[in-house]
Amino acid sequence: MACAGLLCGCASGVQNPSGVPVTVLKPDEQGFIAGSGIESQDLVAVTDRMARSLPGTPEIQNFNPPPPRIVLLPVENETRFPINKDLFTTRMRALLNSQAQGKIRFLARDRMTALEQERTLKQEGKVTSNTDPNVQEFKGADFFLTGKLQGLTTQAKGGVSDYVLYSFQLIDPRTSEILWENSAEVKKQSVEDAAYR
Amino acid sequence: MIQFLRQFWQNAAAGLVLAVLAGCASVSPEEQARRDRVLRDYEGGLTALRAGDYATARSDLDAALLVLGANTAGDASARESRGYFNSESVKTFRGEPYERVMAWYYRAILYWMDGEPDNARAALRSAAVQDTDPENGKVQCDWVLVDYLDGLATAKLGGDGQDAWRRAETNARLNRPPPYDPRANVLFFLEMGRGPTKYAAGEYGEQLRFHPGSAPDPVAVIRTAGQTVRAGAFDDLTWQATTRGGRVMDHVLQGKAVFKGATDAAGTAAIVAGTAVAIAGNSNASRNAGMGIALAGLLTKVVSAATTPEADTRQWSNLPNLLSFAALTLPPGDYEATVEFQSPSGQTLVTRQAKFQVVAGRDTVLFLSDRNS
Repeated sequence: MACAGLLCGCASGVQNPSGVPVTVLKPDEQGFIAGSGIESQDLVAVTDRMARSLPGTPEIQNFNPPPPRIVLLPVENETRFPINKDLFTTRMRALLNSQAQGKIRFLARDRMTALEQERTLKQEGKVTSNTDPNVQEFKGADFFLTGKLQGLTTQAKGGVSDYVLYSFQLIDPRTSEILWENSAEVKKQSVEDAAYR
Repeated sequence: MIQFLRQFWQNAAAGLVLAVLAGCASVSPEEQARRDRVLRDYEGGLTALRAGDYATARSDLDAALLVLGANTAGDASARESRGYFNSESVKTFRGEPYERVMAWYYRAILYWMDGEPDNARAALRSAAVQDTDPENGKVQCDWVLVDYLDGLATAKLGGDGQDAWRRAETNARLNRPPPYDPRANVLFFLEMGRGPTKYAAGEYGEQLRFHPGSAPDPVAVIRTAGQTVRAGAFDDLTWQATTRGGRVMDHVLQGKAVFKGATDAAGTAAIVAGTAVAIAGNSNASRNAGMGIALAGLLTKVVSAATTPEADTRQWSNLPNLLSFAALTLPPGDYEATVEFQSPSGQTLVTRQAKFQVVAGRDTVLFLSDRNS
């Protein structure tokens, strides 16, 4: 009996053997499953900050004739975290479109293939058109909006620390001037269990 | 008296066997399978990559890398594996550093294939972070291709990859990597042989050791579009597995082994002494005392038997032993390539063929192995 009692201690058990029910979290809060990488709360905080800052730029506010038209360029990822970079520009575009109330227009350059096909169909008379399809109506960009993610990783005995700098720029394509720039930075560290060191 | 002692030891032995068998099956097979899932994803991902099933390879490797990216602090399975009465292999499998590096390396190839060289570079940088010095925790990445490809991606993205190239050149032991040609648009990722295998050494299997891998065909000869390129190996997984130094976990396992040995010896001594006292005792009190000592010895032996210092020898079993790479410049069009994996004497041991298309504005990435699965 004593032996059996002692060895019952060997049975290590499993925490939450039945699992944990689905937990709904806000995208701007840190969940209980986290690493030191780029997470939704970082994306939300960074894009919120950029979308608040951009419309106040004098070049945007005083653009004549309004509204200024912006093309999104792909974000450059120089961190150690592979990520779908379009998430940043997509969320910024959605915030600006919903909050700026037409003061800014984005051009759908990522849909150019479909747009050109549609125009060709109209030019060939295969589909109807309310305007003259031979007149060039695709807009050119007044500004480019782009960004860059850069990282710095530090390691020590116990774990890893990751710093990520998120910077976004509004560029005048005519002059190459950077008209607006803002940045946000996030630093995280995580400690490894000794079993994995 | 002797009859009584015989009966006692028979019962005790039976109880011991039952208790050890019952008590130390600490993790259910279902739970252990869940903890081994990363291992299955590693192996499945690589098998799919070799078969050209890139969607499955992506899916499996992403599932594994999600676990690698998570924080392990507070991980219940890791805590259990450090305990005296659980083996190291009850922890959620993540692999040794060379296995983690390879997971990121293969994912980088897939990102590059998908036209995302910056995400490929990110994956390579995460690979580098896996290769740390356990003594001081500093990054000591000495994988030639991890640095070389980081620099190549940087150069292709318009940056300066020379720092990474210099690191790669410094660490090159087998072959010197060529200077970058940012115009090169056809990238051959090649691998040869069978990787190192783990085994447990030491009195109680507490030491993690490696049998070296082998690659009888360390040279790849690429023939395509009238060009012949000879690619030697740049990285050796056996070298990477065996030169990292000790693990923190090795100290934990050594402590378990010492505890197991000490409790075993103490238990034996107590049983012998207690039994002698019980037999020689001339009163009930002395016989009871002897029995008590023997029982304590028995319990100590049980504790020793239940202590599990064995090193974790679960391993990514289909890794290669050597990694190679070559970059060619070809105009847009459709091509066929033949890759001959050759012995050092020039004998072709394995031949692979690939059809590919080169398009303007992006790299064409080919992954070829001398293994099928």
